[in-house]
Amino acid sequence: MDISRSTMDIAAACATAAVGAVVCYGATLNGIAWGDSGPEPGYFPFYVGGLIILGSAGTIVQAWRRRAAGHDRPGADAGADSFLDGERLRTILAFFLPIVAMVAVSAWLGLYVGMALYIFYALRIAAGFRTLTAALAALAVVAVNFVIFEKLFMVPLLKGPILEAFGIY
Amino acid sequence: MGNFGQLMDGFAVALTAHHLMIMVVGVLLGLVVGVLPGLGAPNGVSLLLPLTFTMDPISAIILLTSMYWGALFGGSTTSILFNIPGEPSSVATTFDGYPLAKQGQAARALTLAFTSAGIGALTGVLVITLLSGWVANFALRFGAAEYFAVYFMAFASFIGMSGGSPFKTLVSMMLGFAAATVGIDTISGESRLTFEFDELIGGISFLIAVIGLFGLGELLLTMEEGLKFEGVKAKLDIRVIARTVAEMPRYWATLIRSALIGCWMGITPGGPTAASFMSYALGRRFSRRGRFFGKGEPEGIVAPETADHSAGSCALLPMLALGIPGSATAAVMMGGLMIWGLSPGPMLFSTRPDFVWGLIASMYMGNLIAVVLVLATVPLFAFILRAPFTVVGPLITVVCVIGAYTVANHMFDVWLALGFGIVGYVFKKLDYPLAPFVLAMVLGDKAEDAFRQAMLTSDGSPAIFFSNGLVATMMGLGLLLLCLPAISLLLKGRAATPKDGAAPAPEGRSA
Repeated sequence: MDISRSTMDIAAACATAAVGAVVCYGATLNGIAWGDSGPEPGYFPFYVGGLIILGSAGTIVQAWRRRAAGHDRPGADAGADSFLDGERLRTILAFFLPIVAMVAVSAWLGLYVGMALYIFYALRIAAGFRTLTAALAALAVVAVNFVIFEKLFMVPLLKGPILEAFGIY
Repeated sequence: MGNFGQLMDGFAVALTAHHLMIMVVGVLLGLVVGVLPGLGAPNGVSLLLPLTFTMDPISAIILLTSMYWGALFGGSTTSILFNIPGEPSSVATTFDGYPLAKQGQAARALTLAFTSAGIGALTGVLVITLLSGWVANFALRFGAAEYFAVYFMAFASFIGMSGGSPFKTLVSMMLGFAAATVGIDTISGESRLTFEFDELIGGISFLIAVIGLFGLGELLLTMEEGLKFEGVKAKLDIRVIARTVAEMPRYWATLIRSALIGCWMGITPGGPTAASFMSYALGRRFSRRGRFFGKGEPEGIVAPETADHSAGSCALLPMLALGIPGSATAAVMMGGLMIWGLSPGPMLFSTRPDFVWGLIASMYMGNLIAVVLVLATVPLFAFILRAPFTVVGPLITVVCVIGAYTVANHMFDVWLALGFGIVGYVFKKLDYPLAPFVLAMVLGDKAEDAFRQAMLTSDGSPAIFFSNGLVATMMGLGLLLLCLPAISLLLKGRAATPKDGAAPAPEGRSA
């Protein structure tokens, strides 16, 4: 699996164009014309959406032309032309999916539980530390954050049912 | 010289033990943020901002600006010792800093970088001191149309001077505007672009966008590259430091040229990253020692560092005086000002002179403290950086997640930040500039209000934007800037081969 840069360029531009279209559509819900009291609320966003589509179209044309030019000169910049290959994608996912899992767990059981599990996972599985080291590090991270946010700055973080069961709000 | 008396009052505000302590803390935090790749100045300031909501605004802004100075300095440490820029704006420092360090002159390279950075920053602050009052007075005459023209000029200059694809700059900026319009419309009270999602009614905070785009996005990039820090040993000898400081006057021409470039790029929203590259490129062309650039030439360190820091500090001038930030970090700080209930712009100079001049005075102190602290902590940070990124990365991730949550205590924001993280990763790899996005997000509402008010007063005729000399000039300049990419394309078409001399374009990765 190998995604080339120009493919990704075009894909991203299509995505931004779609966002632009959504913005335009959303703006029409608010009215894009001139009302009695000047421009209606959708007036400004409508043109913003239009400009997003315009810019995306420009990007697509540029990527297309660069791609056509690249085909004329085979071998030019072959290394720099890859956006992502299978191995890199795996590295990224191995880093990103645990973060998603942490956020999901945090939404359910609170941020402290989420970060403890995540740090433990990252140190034990991803970085290969011993179980005890990883557990201690996870506890230390929780403790430090608890002191900084709950005590020093008085900014309460999401506790979740487990901590609340222990009477920590 | 009315400013001088006010500056002295400012020093009286800034030079309390409490504020000095805040500066030290801020600079240290900033150094951490600057040294660690994946945590940049805009992101660091965003993370800290929610913690300042309960502080008094003067202490809060001193904390945030000190962090900004620390981050600017910290970025150079990694550039020189590890050949890895801790901040996008210190990429140009790696060109000569790392080779010089490898020749066994790490201490000299670091001292060169920090002293010239300090000189650059102080020049920037001096420019702010001299010009801000004047600019603010001038801006007091602005009406809605003039304000829109200034915003227009700022955004046009991004498109005109980005160096990358103008279409990508346009898309990035307009996406920022679109994100800013989500939520309740300030004029009509209708909810816009929320598509019946309750979570979106409150709007999307720019802090979430910054944490995602700059924080998580950068982490993903760093992870993908599989960073290994293979650094040069740094032993700081006080005699080497003294000798290096003594050789600084020799580089006066480079210093002046770079500081001027930096001030210009900082005031116009070119940002520190563009300034450092430009200064490096010009240094190589105009310096007598230009042909040694890239091989560990001292002037090759002095040039980007001076420009980087003078741009970094000058970026605060338009933010204070006009309410238009000159860099992504300044944009975040300006968002902070608005959250604290201060409205940046000319009125701030008359309503809160203690705040404005206290801040300006703190810039002098903050930068001096930063120079000292950065030299003192080099061994410490060199040590921290030897920790593998598989450990540091997750820790930064946790900080980002907590930071996203603390903005408004919503888990939905954390999900949004993850989404922005993916966008940031893809955009960075595809060379979309991110600074315009943040600027548009912070300024979106104000620009739109100015536009709508101006159009209201003129009954919908765009002629109001050309109704007097001032506004017409600004709109004209803006239009000219918009056309710059097309003009340069035409010129390039005429010259058969583009010149290869300039440094690679800094694709808008502004600090």
